[in-house]
Amino acid sequence: MNGVIKRYRVMALAAGVMSLLLWFVELPVVYLLDNPDLAAKVKWIPFVHGYVYAFYVLAAIHFTARARFTIKRMILFILAGTLPVASFIAERRVMREFPLK
Amino acid sequence: MKKTNSRTRQTTLQKVGVGLIVLTLCGAFIRLGLWQLDRAADLKELQKPYVEQPVIPLTDVASPSANLQDSAINRIVTFSGRYLAQFDAPGQIDSSGEVRTWLVGLLEVNGGGAILVVRSDNPSNVESELPKGEVSVEGRLLVRQFEDRADKKGDQLSRLDPSLLVGTYDLPVFDGYVAARSESLDGKVLTLPRVKVEPARPTVPGYYWQHISYVVIWWLMALVVLFLPLYGRRRRSELDREVERT
Repeated sequence: MNGVIKRYRVMALAAGVMSLLLWFVELPVVYLLDNPDLAAKVKWIPFVHGYVYAFYVLAAIHFTARARFTIKRMILFILAGTLPVASFIAERRVMREFPLK
Repeated sequence: MKKTNSRTRQTTLQKVGVGLIVLTLCGAFIRLGLWQLDRAADLKELQKPYVEQPVIPLTDVASPSANLQDSAINRIVTFSGRYLAQFDAPGQIDSSGEVRTWLVGLLEVNGGGAILVVRSDNPSNVESELPKGEVSVEGRLLVRQFEDRADKKGDQLSRLDPSLLVGTYDLPVFDGYVAARSESLDGKVLTLPRVKVEPARPTVPGYYWQHISYVVIWWLMALVVLFLPLYGRRRRSELDREVERT
């Protein structure tokens, strides 16, 4: 179980960081600032976020299935990767409930 | 005594309901993935060089008071008629990135309707005075502009958009505008410095690998939706086994 939790933690932190970058860097630069040069510099964020989120979903399913969570809780864990900060909160809760041995 | 467990609690109606929800969600996610796949394909298509098509009469691809069809955009068209008015269009950018004031004429097309024609990028040229007589034009048909680049005054257009002139001239107008590459007045070629424009490229927001990543996510979500009921069933049966053991 330790390996599963560690994988989930890594992906939760990565997804959280990418969500923050997407919501507070990429989207404002593209939609609020009229600066194509800057927009070109942040163009990697959405697709890195896309792939990181896909791996986050797999890690979240693996972890919640092993922890025998309810379907509702599994869905909430999957959705936590879409909102900034939510995956950090989920990761903290996991660490409280399942401290690494 | 009859044993009750969690499995017997789900009725057939509930099972059918869950099945329908799963199929609907799964279908929606697959469609969303296909939509993103189309956008990725569109982006790839846009990266290919534009293939020029044969010159065609304007009225074969467009008509007055009708929106420009996608197939008409960028076509090299020919038409003739008489100029009604001429305007300056400041703040226009050509294909080399140079910002200039363009000279734009409103031409009444033989057969009906009027169209905006970008005649030159040098309004001070002597030959750019409004030609009197029958003018034949050949040029690229482009989409109208949506954003103002200057103020609208009497002889100045804020953007290349025929709708700006609808109230002033009692004529139906063609959508879009033509960037002229040649003009002839009563058979005599008018030599004007022409505007350099590239074929208009429709824009699809985002990047190729970004759309592909969304395809991965939507289809992954479809798989998750299929997996969840199976997981729920397995979890219930495990709980039932535990209940039976205790």
